[in-house]
Amino acid sequence: MTERIKKLSDMTVKGEMYIEHTETKYDRKDIFLPPVIMSAKRSKEYILNQKPYVSEYTALTGYLRFNGDVMGDIFNRNGHRNYKMLMDNFYNKPVDGLCTFEWQHSVADFEKVIKIGIKGFKAEIEVSRVNHTDKEKKDFLDALDIIADAIIGWAEKCSAAARIKSLEVACPEYKANLIKLSDALCKVPANPAESFYEAVLTLYLIYAFVPDSIGTIDRYLYSFYKKDIENGVLTKEEAKSYLQELFLMLQARVSIKSDRFYRGGESHFCIGGYLENGEDGFNELSRLILDSLLELPTWIPQISLRWTKKTPEDVLKYVMDCERKDPNKRIAFVNDEPRIKAFMEIGGFPYELACKYTMVGCNEPQLPGGIFMGGCYANIAKSIENTLYNCGDEICEAENFEDFYKIFERELYSTIKLCTDYYNKFQSVRARDINLVSTMFFEGSIKRAESITRGGAENAVADLSFIGIITVVDSLSVIKQFVYVEKKISMKTLLEALRANWNGYEILHSDILKNGRFFGNDDEISNYCAYRFACSVSEYFKDKRTDMGYKFMIGNLIGYNQHHKWFGDYVRATPDGRLNGEMISYGIGQNNGKDREGLTALLSSVAKLNSHVIFCGETVTNVFIDEQLVKNDKNFEKLVKLFETYFKLGGLHYQLNYVSKEDLRNAQTTPEKYRNLRVRVSGFSDYFIFLNEDLQNEIISRTEKSI
Amino acid sequence: MKAIIFDIQRSSFVDGPGIRTTVFFKGCNLRCKWCHNPESQIIKPQIMFYKSKCISCGKCREACPNNMEKCDMCGKCTYACPNGARRICGREYTISEVLKEILKDKAFYETSGGGVTFSGGECMLQIDFLEEILKKCKENKVHTAVDTAGCIPWEYFLKIMPYTNLFLYDVKCFSDKLHILGTNYSNKLILENLKKLSDEFLGDIIIRIPVIGGFNDDTAEIRKICGFIKSLRIKNTEILPYHKMGEYKYEALGMKALKYKVPDPKEIKRLKEVFCNIQQGE
Repeated sequence: MTERIKKLSDMTVKGEMYIEHTETKYDRKDIFLPPVIMSAKRSKEYILNQKPYVSEYTALTGYLRFNGDVMGDIFNRNGHRNYKMLMDNFYNKPVDGLCTFEWQHSVADFEKVIKIGIKGFKAEIEVSRVNHTDKEKKDFLDALDIIADAIIGWAEKCSAAARIKSLEVACPEYKANLIKLSDALCKVPANPAESFYEAVLTLYLIYAFVPDSIGTIDRYLYSFYKKDIENGVLTKEEAKSYLQELFLMLQARVSIKSDRFYRGGESHFCIGGYLENGEDGFNELSRLILDSLLELPTWIPQISLRWTKKTPEDVLKYVMDCERKDPNKRIAFVNDEPRIKAFMEIGGFPYELACKYTMVGCNEPQLPGGIFMGGCYANIAKSIENTLYNCGDEICEAENFEDFYKIFERELYSTIKLCTDYYNKFQSVRARDINLVSTMFFEGSIKRAESITRGGAENAVADLSFIGIITVVDSLSVIKQFVYVEKKISMKTLLEALRANWNGYEILHSDILKNGRFFGNDDEISNYCAYRFACSVSEYFKDKRTDMGYKFMIGNLIGYNQHHKWFGDYVRATPDGRLNGEMISYGIGQNNGKDREGLTALLSSVAKLNSHVIFCGETVTNVFIDEQLVKNDKNFEKLVKLFETYFKLGGLHYQLNYVSKEDLRNAQTTPEKYRNLRVRVSGFSDYFIFLNEDLQNEIISRTEKSI
Repeated sequence: MKAIIFDIQRSSFVDGPGIRTTVFFKGCNLRCKWCHNPESQIIKPQIMFYKSKCISCGKCREACPNNMEKCDMCGKCTYACPNGARRICGREYTISEVLKEILKDKAFYETSGGGVTFSGGECMLQIDFLEEILKKCKENKVHTAVDTAGCIPWEYFLKIMPYTNLFLYDVKCFSDKLHILGTNYSNKLILENLKKLSDEFLGDIIIRIPVIGGFNDDTAEIRKICGFIKSLRIKNTEILPYHKMGEYKYEALGMKALKYKVPDPKEIKRLKEVFCNIQQGE
C-alpha cells in the first residue's frame, strides 16, 4: 500500500472522509414549473451547490450525497416520499402476517457511461425527444437533460477544486496527482474515457448518482488496463492505488455513525464469470482487484467470485484462501451457470447480456443498467399452514401423497397470489415517486422516457423472497414419510397433534424430530419434496409478470432482519416439529441442526433444489466451518474441492464462516475480548458482538460442520 | 448378504485421500484399552443410554414390550424417549443399502480424489460382505480404502486385495508384551501380515500409529516401530494422538473407561521428528 493510500485509508476508517451535504436554497417560484422540471432544476442546483472532497492525497474525486430536499439517487432514495411512506408502514412490519416491504438494489451501466460519456446520454435524450409527443414524457426527458448538465457541471466544479488544492500542495507527486485529476475532469465524464485512470474516475464520479454496486469492473475496465500497461502509461502499482481509492470511497460514503459502516454487504460487486465468448473471465485485473481490496482494512465493498466450469482450479483455491484469511469477511462465491440460465430462461435476456450480471446488495443478481425490483418478502410457510388448518376434511380423505400434494399446491398458489398482489401494490405506490438522478443510467429509461420507479428499466427482474421454504419442504417431507410411506400415523392424528401444539403428542413429536427425513440430508423423501415444491413454484411463475411487466425470480434471502421470527409469530405448529409461533426457516441451508449427514449431504440437497433455476432471486447459503479444519492446508484443499463439487452439481452460492462454538459463546460472555470476531449473517457480515442476543444464539445453535 | 454397521459418515476429511464416506463396521477382535469407539467392539447391536439426558419420565418403560426386563433390540424405547437419551447402535445393512449411501457422494470423490473407507471396529471380520461391497465399489469406479488393525488371517487380505486401493493399517506398538497388555492380543500376526502386505499388495499402504500417553509415547517404542516399517513399502505414516472424546460413550454403554493421558502436542511434535529422522535414514 502506498503512503498516499495509507493516509486515505486511515482517514476512511476513522470516518473522516465522510462528506456532509450542503444545504441549498431554492426559488419558491419553482413550484409554478411542471413538477418534473421543478424537481430537475432543484436537483441541479443542489448538485452544483455541494462541496467536492479534495485533500492533498486525492487522485479521484466527485462523490456527493443527497439529502431529502430533492428526489435523490435510487439507492438511498432521499426525497422519495412515497417510498418513505411504504417504509414507515410496511418495512419489517408484516401485513396480514404475510408480506413486508423491502429495499431494492440496482447497478448502473457504468460500461456505457465510460464508453459514451454524459454527452452520449444527452444525444440519446435528444433522439428520444423526437420519438415522444406526450407532454409529460417530453418534460421528463427535459428533466433528464437538466440532470445530465448538472453532472457535467459537477465535474467542472470538482476540477476547479482539484486545481485550487494543487496550488496549496507542496509534495510534487501529490501536486501532480491533483493537476492530473483537474485536467481529466475537464474531459470525463462528459466525454468518453480513454485511459484506465479516466475510466476509474468516471466510475468514481458517476457512482454518486447510483451509489450501489460498481458491477463487473474486471471486464469493463480490463481493456483500458491492458492497453495502458502495454503502452507503458500505467504501472500495476498505480492501477492498484486508483482501485484502492475507489474502494475507500465506497466505505467512506457511509457515515461512521451508521451501523451500516461496519457491516459488509453493500456495494457488492463481482469478478470472474463467463465472457461473451464463453470463456472464463478471471484475468490479471481480477486478481489485482482482489488483492487491492484485501489490503484495505475496510468492510465495504463486498466481492463475489463468479465461478464457471472453466474457472481454473488454482483460482478458486486462491480466492478461497483469500477469503479464509480475510478478517473482514468480504468474499462470497456464486455459480455462473444457474445464474445465467435464470436470466436467459426466466428473464428472456440474451446470453451476451445475461453473462454480464453482477451480484448487488446482500446477494441479489442484477444485469448492468438494471434494477432488481425487489421490495417484498413473503411468508411462504402460510401455504402449508393454510393447507393443514383450513382444508382438514379434504386432506384427511387424500389417499396418497400425490392427492395430498394437489391440495397443498392449490393452497400454495393462493398464498403466492396474495403475495404477488401485495408486491404489485407496493410497486404501484413506489411508482408515485419519479426518480431523475439515477434513471438515465438504466437501460431503456431514456427510450421509454420513464422513471425506473415506474418501469423505465429494461434489464430488470422482479424478486419476491420466500421466507420459510425449508419449513414447507420439511413439513411436506414429514407428511410423506410418516403418513404415506411409513404409515406410522394418520393425517387425522397429525392434524390433532398440530392443533394441540404437540401437547399430549410428545412421543410423536420426538419421533419426528429424531427420525424425520429433513431437508439437507440428501435423502430421497426430502429431496423429492423440495423438487416438487420447486416445480410447483416454477410452474406458477412461468407466465406471470408484475404489473410493470417484469418476470419474477424467487429469493430466499434473509437480510439483516428477522423475518423468520416475525413471520413465525403468525404460523401455527407445523409437521416438521415446529411449535406455534416458533420461527420459520430462512435461507437455503443449515436448518437448526436438522441436517445431520454432513456437508456433502447438505450441499447435495441444496444443489438439487434449484434445478428449475426459479430460486435464483436474492439467495444465500451460509455454511459454518469448524476453524480447526482449515488450519491444516491439506484439509483446506479438500474444502476447496468440496465447494467446487457443489458448484458442479448446480449449487448457486455459498459464503463461509470459520468459527468454533466456543468462540461464539465466549464472545457472548466477554464481548470485550471478541471485538474482532466477524460472522456472516446472510448477505451481511458484521461483528458478532454487535448482533442482538437472539441472533447470536441462533448462530450458535446452527449446526457447525465439524469434519 | 448383510453386515452389522454402526455408522456411515459422509464428508470425512480424515480417513484417507480426498473427501470420503466412511463405513463403520461393528465388531472387533482387539480390545484396545484406549478405544475411542467402544460401541464398535461387540458385533451385535447395542442400546446406548446417555444418563445425563434422561429425565426419568418412564416413557421407555411404557414403550418396552418386555417391561425393560430383557431386550430384543426392537428400538421402541429409543423412539419413545423424548429427550434422545437412548439410541440403538448398529443395525443390519444390505449390500445395496450401503452401496447406495456410498454412491451419493460420487461427484465429491471424483473432484477431490476421494472415495470410500471401510473402518470399524474391524471391518475385515465381516469379510464376505466386505469383499462383495469392495467389488461393487470397483465396478462403480469408487476409490476404496480399508482401515484395519490387521489381526486377521492372511487369506482374508488375499480376498480383498484385488478390489482395494489403499490400506490404512494400524500399528499400535512393536513390543509384543506391550501389545498384549494394551489390546489383549499378540501383535505377531499383525506385523507378519503387514510385512506380507508390503510385499504383495500393489496399492498404497498408510500406517497409522495411535500415540497413547503412558502407553507407547516413549521414544524407544516409536523407534522400534519406525525401525520395523522402514524396511517396508509404505506410502505414508500418520501419528494419531490419543483423545478423550470417546469417554462419554463408555458410560452410555455401561462400560468403564480407562483413563489415559492425552499426549502433549509438543511431545507429539517431537515424536514426529524422531520418526522423520529415522525414515530419512538417521
